[in-house]
Amino acid sequence: MKTTDLSRRAFLEVTGVAAVGINFPFILSGCDGSDTNSNAAGRIIGTGTDFLCWVAIMPDNSAVVRIPQTDLGQGVTTTIAQVIADEMELDWSRLTTEFYDPRDNAKHDNVFAWTTTLGSSSAHYLFDPARVVAATIKSKLIAAAARRLSIPVNELNAADSFVIYSPTDIRISYAHLAQEAVDLMLPEGYEPSLKPASQRQLIGKPVAQFNLADTTHGAKSYGIDFEIENMRHAIVEQCPVYGGKLLGIDKTRLVGLDGNPDVFRIDGFLIGYNSPVPDGQDPDLWAAEVRTDDAVAIVADTWWQAKTALEALSIKWSKSAHSGFSSESLEKTLRQKVEGNLPLSGQHGDFHAAIAKATTRLNSVYSYPFVDSAPLEPMNCTALVDDGEAHVWTNSQYPDDAWRITFELAGIEPNNAHVHIMPAGGGFGRRLHNDFVYQAVRIACQNRGIPIKLVTTREESTKHSYYSPLTVARFEAGMSAENQVIAWSCRVASGYSADQAYGATRIPFTIPNTRFEYERDKNTPVPFGWVRGVGFSQHLWMNYSFFDELREQTGRNPIEFYRAHLDPERVPEDIDNYDLAVRRAERNLRMLEFCVEHGAWNTTKGPGVGRGICVSDSDYFAGFGSSTKAAIVDVTLDAEEFPKIKRIFLAIDAGTIINPDVVSAQLEGGVAFALTTALYSEITIENGGVQQSNFHDYPILKMDQMPPLEIVIVPSFDSPKSVGEDAVPITIAALVNAIADAGGQRIRRLPISSALKA
Amino acid sequence: MRIGGQMVEFRINGVKRKVDTDPRTPLLWVIRDILKLRGTKFGCGGGQCGACTVHVNEDAVRSCVFPIQAAEAASITTIEGLDPNHAHPLQVKWIEKKVPQCGYCQSGMIMSAAALLKNNPRPSESEIRTGITNICRCGTYNRIVAAVKAASSDSEDG
Repeated sequence: MKTTDLSRRAFLEVTGVAAVGINFPFILSGCDGSDTNSNAAGRIIGTGTDFLCWVAIMPDNSAVVRIPQTDLGQGVTTTIAQVIADEMELDWSRLTTEFYDPRDNAKHDNVFAWTTTLGSSSAHYLFDPARVVAATIKSKLIAAAARRLSIPVNELNAADSFVIYSPTDIRISYAHLAQEAVDLMLPEGYEPSLKPASQRQLIGKPVAQFNLADTTHGAKSYGIDFEIENMRHAIVEQCPVYGGKLLGIDKTRLVGLDGNPDVFRIDGFLIGYNSPVPDGQDPDLWAAEVRTDDAVAIVADTWWQAKTALEALSIKWSKSAHSGFSSESLEKTLRQKVEGNLPLSGQHGDFHAAIAKATTRLNSVYSYPFVDSAPLEPMNCTALVDDGEAHVWTNSQYPDDAWRITFELAGIEPNNAHVHIMPAGGGFGRRLHNDFVYQAVRIACQNRGIPIKLVTTREESTKHSYYSPLTVARFEAGMSAENQVIAWSCRVASGYSADQAYGATRIPFTIPNTRFEYERDKNTPVPFGWVRGVGFSQHLWMNYSFFDELREQTGRNPIEFYRAHLDPERVPEDIDNYDLAVRRAERNLRMLEFCVEHGAWNTTKGPGVGRGICVSDSDYFAGFGSSTKAAIVDVTLDAEEFPKIKRIFLAIDAGTIINPDVVSAQLEGGVAFALTTALYSEITIENGGVQQSNFHDYPILKMDQMPPLEIVIVPSFDSPKSVGEDAVPITIAALVNAIADAGGQRIRRLPISSALKA
Repeated sequence: MRIGGQMVEFRINGVKRKVDTDPRTPLLWVIRDILKLRGTKFGCGGGQCGACTVHVNEDAVRSCVFPIQAAEAASITTIEGLDPNHAHPLQVKWIEKKVPQCGYCQSGMIMSAAALLKNNPRPSESEIRTGITNICRCGTYNRIVAAVKAASSDSEDG
């Protein structure tokens, strides 16, 4: 099959991140290959010794591990520390973490390998680099001990932050070796030797998250909790209509208000992109634009005073070319579009010839609304711009770009801009869009010397977010007399979006003739955002629901129908990457059989219960190697056909598991996110502006709707794979198929709450 | 228009405090920005999500919609003051069941659960699920139910 290259694939090829055994040409000489003045290899942090930017050994033999990602609740602080500590033989009880510094990452040629918290990729992309770094540091420490003791390196080993010579029980702490080790050159041709899986002591253990206890008594500090002396508080209001301009502000009503409120303008701006774009590449293949509209900011002594002042303010906004825009009219337009031809995005075999010969034909149109990630902590950022220096405290998921934004807007040397990463109260993709950093720094530039903490209201966070795009997909397929799908096409039209064609094209089914058409309307005003599960959360349920519609035509049971279309023997021989396609079918088939055996598929359902299944991966491109996973959902329907979820079974093969409890938590969370998306999530636009504002009209699943959940992690020694987003697409797919199985209407439009009203 | 300041006096986590502020200021923002207790979180500002839940005279209230003037002479407990050693049975079970993911909603969840248990020491699972209406976007709900059950007085290990 021919498909256009995907941004992530291209990124991995350019950066080399995907390669096993990451190659750091600079690693043996330390971290300062490009900047000899900074002495980064031996940079002293407090009184500690800094190794390769990733680890600092402190004089008391404790260690600080730097985490190359933002912790949104996915536990990356703990999991990456587990990997480093295991490979480096660090004393876990004396280990602390801090987030990486984007400035160091830029200075040292992307030493942290993969710093954007996107695409469930921390374990996938960082497992090898983290182990290589840790093994290299350990080798340096052992080599330093060998030199000091005049004992060959291979007679020494390491444990609990000590180098040990067992025959005479000599133990030298890492702290005592650190200064000598950091300058030590490893021999020419040194290759780090990584611990075999059988010797791992931390990788694979359900270690508790570092700040677990803090979270239970309010001591964990998030971006929104940051405080610094003389800080003032800011709030913003963006133009309610996409593309509208700020015409005027009547400040007279601010006179005499508490908190000394001041008003500032923030111009609308193309801030950047929502994921990294390599030099010289077309951003449109990689990411989506991050834009804001004109906004008004109030700065006051407290946040509530700023909010009160904002409400008193009279602001005049202009209309715009989008003032008449509505999601309803966009959906109509997209529905018309998919009835005609759209640009080809991939094909295999000859769809038109095959459908002409088909015994059974079926077509269906599906749609998906604008959806907001809606993390619970509202968007916020603290910024201080002063005298050639700038500091930003933020929980951006894309801190490298937050740093660029900071030094560019402040007009200072990059070296003088500092981004301090804070933990986030959820992210789900939202914080990849650095609009809040842009706004905070813009305000700080107009308040030099005064730290400004911007906190947006829930209403502002909802109305000015970045949404997965309203999308319509028209499927057409034909089956042979043997009930085998021989032709499959999907034509997709959406509003402005990053390239998410893979959601439609990357089906695992072994179908000999396929055709995919895809068009994004770049002129729609609603900003695109990465939302947990990205293109797969939008498309996969449509693919699998239509697949189930085809099955219904045949009268075959779902398992038989899956088996027939995940058969490795049926992979078309002339398909691109044939071997990868065969392995993919094998993995999915194996997961199907696992699910049938362990997921109570064949148990009696009980009266009124419908059961649905989905087996899939999130293979963005051939060879990406996502996890393989499956969901079984049981539902009953109330009088209005609204589903009550009775139970969910989830299985995942995510390769080597760094922390099974974290994996389980991510899957539980993915199910909740899927149910919210499937049942409720819909952002609508009217008169050029978002209609929803808060959780009363953009509801989130609550505790009484969370079903019993069984999660099985399939043991594997393969490299670690995606987890965070993986439960979302399959749960939605299994749910809509369960509703059909329970006798409900075929869901072809999300959310279900609005589909049932239609 | 000048919004008149007003002195409001109350006890918070056992300590007597007096604040001079616009009487309509929500308790949440007095707690966070004036008293600098940052464990109580801002999620929605509309009483929807419960991230800001505190106890006012032992009742769970959503402090983002609770004007400070209504706290006159009240006794307020925030997550920081729920237990002097941070060892309330719910806090112990929260750790044991590894409930939090991002953790942002958990102060409010624990405060809601503590009020629930005070009124109903042996809640059924369904009473827990319908009695706590806070939002957790990370989806830790089933672990919360397990922790509350374990902490409730009918639990053998609670």
